[in-house]
Amino acid sequence: MSGLVIAPLLAAVTTAVLTLALGRRPRIQRAASVAGSVAYVGTVSAAVWTVVLGPAATGAAAYQVGDWPAPFGITLVLDGLSAFMLTIAAGVGVASILFSVRYVTAENQRVYYHPLFHMLLAGATGAFLTGDLFNLFVWFEVMLIVSYVFVAFYGTDHATAASFRYLVMNVFGSALMLVAVGGLYATTGTLNMADMARRLAAPDAYGIDPAPVVGLSALLLAVFALKAGLVPFQFWVPAAYTAAPSPVTAMFAGVTKKVGVYAIVRLYFTVLAAASVPVDVPGLTAASPLGFLAPVLGAMGVASVVVGGFGAVGRDRLGAVFAYSSIGQVGFIAVPVAVAAAAPPAGTLRGVAIAAALVFALHHALAKGLLFLSAAAVEDATKTDRLADLGGFAGHSPVLSGAVFVGLLSLIGLPPLSGFFGKFLALDAAVRGVASAPGPSSTLALVALLLGAVLTILYATRVWVGGFWGRETTAVEVATVESGQVAVLVALAVAVVLVGVGFDPIYRFAETAAAAALDSEGYVDVVGLSGGDGA
Amino acid sequence: MSVALAVAVGGLFAVGTFLLLQRDLVRVVLGVAVVSQATFVYLIAMGGIDEGAGDLVPVLEVHGGGVPEVADPVVQALVLTAIVISLGTTALALVLSYRAYEENESMDVTEWKT
Repeated sequence: MSGLVIAPLLAAVTTAVLTLALGRRPRIQRAASVAGSVAYVGTVSAAVWTVVLGPAATGAAAYQVGDWPAPFGITLVLDGLSAFMLTIAAGVGVASILFSVRYVTAENQRVYYHPLFHMLLAGATGAFLTGDLFNLFVWFEVMLIVSYVFVAFYGTDHATAASFRYLVMNVFGSALMLVAVGGLYATTGTLNMADMARRLAAPDAYGIDPAPVVGLSALLLAVFALKAGLVPFQFWVPAAYTAAPSPVTAMFAGVTKKVGVYAIVRLYFTVLAAASVPVDVPGLTAASPLGFLAPVLGAMGVASVVVGGFGAVGRDRLGAVFAYSSIGQVGFIAVPVAVAAAAPPAGTLRGVAIAAALVFALHHALAKGLLFLSAAAVEDATKTDRLADLGGFAGHSPVLSGAVFVGLLSLIGLPPLSGFFGKFLALDAAVRGVASAPGPSSTLALVALLLGAVLTILYATRVWVGGFWGRETTAVEVATVESGQVAVLVALAVAVVLVGVGFDPIYRFAETAAAAALDSEGYVDVVGLSGGDGA
Repeated sequence: MSVALAVAVGGLFAVGTFLLLQRDLVRVVLGVAVVSQATFVYLIAMGGIDEGAGDLVPVLEVHGGGVPEVADPVVQALVLTAIVISLGTTALALVLSYRAYEENESMDVTEWKT
């Protein structure tokens, strides 16, 4: 069973190597790439079903790389939270690669596109699975180096500049992450996240002084927020998202961003939640690092919702609207996480709020993936994505427009689509946050979410009215929509509807994931720390 | 010893940050490299460094003698990994800066068209 934990990672890496070797045989390379992504979905499904969801599931499993016992070697852990994120990655991944085959020109697909794509998937998978802090850094780098190349993929001045800026900023982020990881190692004497959780829960028993953990974890929070594109680290998002090939942008929005969110949840709720480290910085005193996370992440989330919402309303290109919208939507994920951090550890609110954030992450991955791919299909057909040059697409191509319509309605949050539950649960968590801790900050979070919802309606309406309704423009009249692309979009739209209609099992999955995120002791047990007690 | 290391790390970070904020692309790439080096020195320091002494060397002085205390190997493994990653990233940054020069015909970031 533990072999299943590493299977998705092996599927992605094997496909990357295979497609690289098949660079001179484009057709076979494409077939191998699609087959590899299907294999990835298969391994993820098998692992998730066997370990987390199935009748005989244990809830979590660990794989010790190279059979080195736990605190010394690298441990891969598949628990509910990782399983939920992997499921998102698998869904978005297979949709993006199927779309890529019909969208990216044959020349551009040759040689490097497919290997890079699967390395992106491998990087995200590794980050979701790893139970080792330094290994998390390595998977981040795998993901980032691929991202730099993808942002610069088309080699235009715009793409090169975006990639260079993205690179410089992330190198600085990686340096900060190394500083934090090194500091945590020096403080706690371990890099294994389970071991770290265990040691921080009883610092005296292990003879460590956990005081520096607050500052070091704050550094990590900044790095993860940079990956997630939260305000004030959002400025790279629009340029990078519009420069990268659109199927990859769907991956960036659906998967890479979620890695940042996942890392915040994993670090703070699984590793640091039990730590008895008093926080004492000017203007803020709390009993654990979670008390630090709540106001800081809350402020970032609120600012993201506002900045992303207003930014999206003012853009005049489809891709840019959705890129800014992504910033706002990550705010919708961050605010429930902040509510969970502020909640008392004993009550149910913490689990409910984390589940809300996860449901929103799933919704955002599906709906935004659908919309980015739709924007790509529209641009491919009309050679433009300026809202001013579009119009009348609904009459020209009803099926494609229907898929976009579903995506936009889901973004707005209309039942029975996935976005309804995402937004409903996020607002529900914010309301409960106000009820459990009345005060200006929790009220501000709720008001910001409501404002964000209104702004979403505004820009979604603007996209629909400007791009799809009305009279056909000259660009739209001559447009020919590629049916293979539309098939992928329709499949994604159906997925958005299905997630909303059959929401009950998905919510139970999210609840399982949230419970796993909060269960530090269970995480420590699964990792099975058999050595290292004497340190 | 730890004071010297702290000064070295701080100095490297200062120089790296200064270079990152320059207009010239090559200086920015150098800044990328220097900031990375700063974290490597920092990582090594995190393993705890003692003053050099005869019984600290990892090579045994006498055959069959007692094994001396050795430096923490974990941070060294970390640093090796980080150096390799940094090498790749810096090389990519150099290539990108050349490509940006080709596109914009200027090494000055403020003169970029986008």
